[in-house]
Formats: sequence, structure tokens, C-alpha cells
Amino acid sequence: MIKTSKTHEASFRDPSGYMYHDGNTLRRKINPIYFPQYKKLKDSGFFKTLIKNNLLISHEETSVSEDEIIITPEHIPFITNPYEWGFEQYKQAALLTLKIQKFALSKGFILKDASAYNVTFHKGKPIFIDTLSFDFYKEGTPWRAYKQFITHFLGPLVLARYHGNEVFNMMQSYIDGIPVKMISSMLPPKTKLSSVLYPNIHLLAKMESRHSEDYKAETKIAKLSLKAQNNIIESLYNYISKLSLKEASEWGDYYSKTNYNETAFNTKKDLIRNWVSPLNAKKLIDIGGNDGTFARTVQDLVPHIMVTDIDSNAVDANFSQILKNKEDNMLPFVCDVLQPAPGIGFNNTERESLIHRLTEYKPDVTMALALIHHITLSGNVPFEKSAAFFAKFSKNLIIEFPKREDSWVTSLLVRKREFINYFDFYNQIEFEKGYSQFFTLVKKEELAGTKRVMYLFENKNYVS
Amino acid sequence: MNFLYFDPGLGAMIVQAVVAVAAGVLLFSKNVLYKVKSFFGLVKEDDSYDSIDVDEGDTEETNDKNQ
Repeated sequence: MIKTSKTHEASFRDPSGYMYHDGNTLRRKINPIYFPQYKKLKDSGFFKTLIKNNLLISHEETSVSEDEIIITPEHIPFITNPYEWGFEQYKQAALLTLKIQKFALSKGFILKDASAYNVTFHKGKPIFIDTLSFDFYKEGTPWRAYKQFITHFLGPLVLARYHGNEVFNMMQSYIDGIPVKMISSMLPPKTKLSSVLYPNIHLLAKMESRHSEDYKAETKIAKLSLKAQNNIIESLYNYISKLSLKEASEWGDYYSKTNYNETAFNTKKDLIRNWVSPLNAKKLIDIGGNDGTFARTVQDLVPHIMVTDIDSNAVDANFSQILKNKEDNMLPFVCDVLQPAPGIGFNNTERESLIHRLTEYKPDVTMALALIHHITLSGNVPFEKSAAFFAKFSKNLIIEFPKREDSWVTSLLVRKREFINYFDFYNQIEFEKGYSQFFTLVKKEELAGTKRVMYLFENKNYVS
Repeated sequence: MNFLYFDPGLGAMIVQAVVAVAAGVLLFSKNVLYKVKSFFGLVKEDDSYDSIDVDEGDTEETNDKNQ
């Protein structure tokens, strides 16, 4: 899609500059109001150190004039949002923000905002993407982005500890972070005894409601020494790095619970590799891809791979493998196919919907393995509807169809009890009929030793 | 506040003084505990998370490969 010089939908809050689409390239325009900061950040080597350490996205200076400086940041193939991160990812994003703030302070700068949207995942790691988030540090001033850090990072993380990862979905309703009062009210009373949570959340909530009526900005703001500010950042860093989910990870060893043996498992792996190879895919998405086991069979063939799962524990398991093996071409994120992330914020376009982002990403291959029975039988989504969903963004679709005799399908069916007859349509004939409305069948193969069939489809109406 | 495009929250600006004191006490006691523990050889190195400090040394070879 060619959009000439169109401002990026999420880039309007900060007067320092904005992102825009120059054809297919995303560039950043810097306004004269931010020139002093930008020049100092550049000349002092601040940007260079952060970029060298892979903490900040790299950029090239494209043009410099009196009215504007244009920089072109390194291309990021796909932006994931905070409500699509697993716990570990969220945690790493928070730590990155603190790390950058601490470094900034040591060089006479501050992070002027601490939005979770300043971070995304790229090349297997969290990376800071808002190059204009820095300002000069003024001696004695408290951190203006402190509250934002609490509502965007500490709050959601602590809530997730007590209520599970689903809490991150609240970020879809609160684009500027979960209100402090709400965080405080949702935490168990014993957190009031915590020397980190009491001051950073409960006391903050109290102070915020006490001072909410200072319409004329008359109340004096206390001074805060640099040392004191460093202490806040360091103690938050220590606390967050030790934070873990309270409920022990349910995601254990999923594949040991599968209903087929090792030979069948390997046959499936080989088949995927053989089918993906000739497609010369540059981008692949595995929807419902668990911890990335099957996506990894083609990791050396495809330059950019995304693996989504509804289970954030699986996403976390994938993310830890990525960190451990330093894999740089895999991006895991949380996605519920039955309710993909909507477009949120101003105009509903500030953070684009998942479908929108996938349509722009244009994966060459979409994989949906052991997923269709969940979509069809748990979500009651008719075949032509799920086909239409995949057809929106996929060029080639590799989809696995577990037959009625498959033990998982049988289990899903018997749970329908007296309504079981309503699901007689769940069979290969109906499946092929539904999918043939949008796709052409290219290959079809039964997986030996299982009750499953693999399909390779090609989108009929794909515009590249 | 020339560049501020969101509400920093007045309460949040004030509370930082208290937060900093609590953090200072916590870090200090942790430090003492660490020294006591290391004196008795009880310190285990935990390297699952990076240190908060940014490496400013010349580590071109290790970092450049990703760029």
C-alpha cells in the first residue's frame, strides 16, 4: 500500500516531531523546537552508545535544514503492543525503560515519557523506538514520567502477578496506562506492607486523589536530588527483575500431552519444511504456534517469523528460548484468534488492529496447525468465516485439519452434549467447501499415524 | 514544562520524595545484607537479567553483528 507523506497515526502527541510514511519508508521529522536536544544527544555520543548496545533503534540522518531534520529509523517489520506481550516480555520492556532512564540521567538527560508504546520487540529483544523521548535534565526536578511508568509498567506487571496475564488486556481500554487508583484497589491488602508497592502505588494513589484539584498549578513541587531519583529507578529495577507470576506456569510440556507419537511428530515437521521450502517465503506467521516448535523447523529458511498463541505462557516459553539461543528472526506474541487486538486510541487508529497490521505485514506463509477445531468447535466459527479471516492477509496457508476421530476433536464434540448434532458439519468435505471459496487447494496429505490432514492452500484473490 | 504533552500528575511529582527515601533505605539495607552475605561466602551470582548499567566500553565486535 503506497501512502505518500502520510503522518503515522500514532505520532501526534509530542510536539518535538512526528513519524510519517514517505512512500513505503517510515521517517521521523524533527521540529526546530527539539533541535537543541537532538543536537546534544547526537554530538555527545548518547544516541551512539544506546544504539551500539541495541537499546535504541538505529537511525540515519536523511536531511537537515533550518525548519526540519529528517531521520530514517531502521525498519521494524511488525509492531507488537503491550497487550500482546507475555509476562517476561512485558517485564523486559519495563527494565529496558528503567535502564535507559538511568543512563540518560548519568548523561544529563531524562526520559520525558515512559509509555509502554515506546518499546517494541525486534530481532529477539525489546528495543526503545521513540528517538525523541529524551529531554535535558534540570537539577532538582522529579521525574515527570514517573507516574506514566507506574501506570504503563509497574502497575500492569504487579496486577498480572496477582490476577494473571490477562490483566494486560486492560491496556486496551486505558491507552495511557491503568489508573493508579484502580491498580491500588485491585491489589491484595498485604501489598500495603511492601516497601516498594506501598509508596509507588498505594501512596501514589492517595496523593493523586488529594491533589487532583490543583487547577491553577499552584502547589509547589518538591525538589528531588539526582541521587534520590537514581534510588527510585534502581529500586524499581531490582523489584521488577525479581517479579514473577504468582500462579505457577501452566504451560509445561505441551507436546508431551499430544495425542500422536514421535514419528508422527517428526513426519509433520518434515512435511512443513518440505512445503515451505519451495515457497521462498520472506515472512511467515504461525497462528496458534505454541512455543514455536514447528516454526523453528523452517527458521533457517525464512528471514522473519512470527509465532502467536492465545496462551501467554507458551509465548513466554518461546521468548525465553529466543533469548537463550539469541535467535534474531522470531517474534512471539499473544493473540486470541477469536478476539484479535482491536484498533484503539484516538480515531481508533492510534494503535492499529491486529488485522490491519497483518494486512500490512503480508506474510508469505500463514500456518494454522491444530487450530481449526478450536476456532470451529470452541468458537462456533463456520468454515467460510475462518477462511475469510485467513484470506484477509495470507498468501499461502498451511492448515491442519484434525478429523472427527481425533481424540481432541472427539472431546470437544462430546462436550457439546445434546447439541452434538449441530456440529455434524465438522468434516473434511465441509471444510474444503468453505475454504475453496477463498483458496485454491495446492496440496493435501494425511499425517501417517494420526487422524489429521495437512492442507496447503493458495489465496485466490491475493494482491501482492 | 515546555514539552509536556501529558499530565504528569501533581501527586506523582510530590510522592517521589517519599518514594526516594523508601528506595534509599531499601537499597542501603540490601547493600549491607550483600556485604554480610559475601563476607560469609553466601552470594550467588544471578545473571538471568542484565545489570541496569549500560556498557559504554568499546564492544564493537559483539554488538555490531546485529546492525
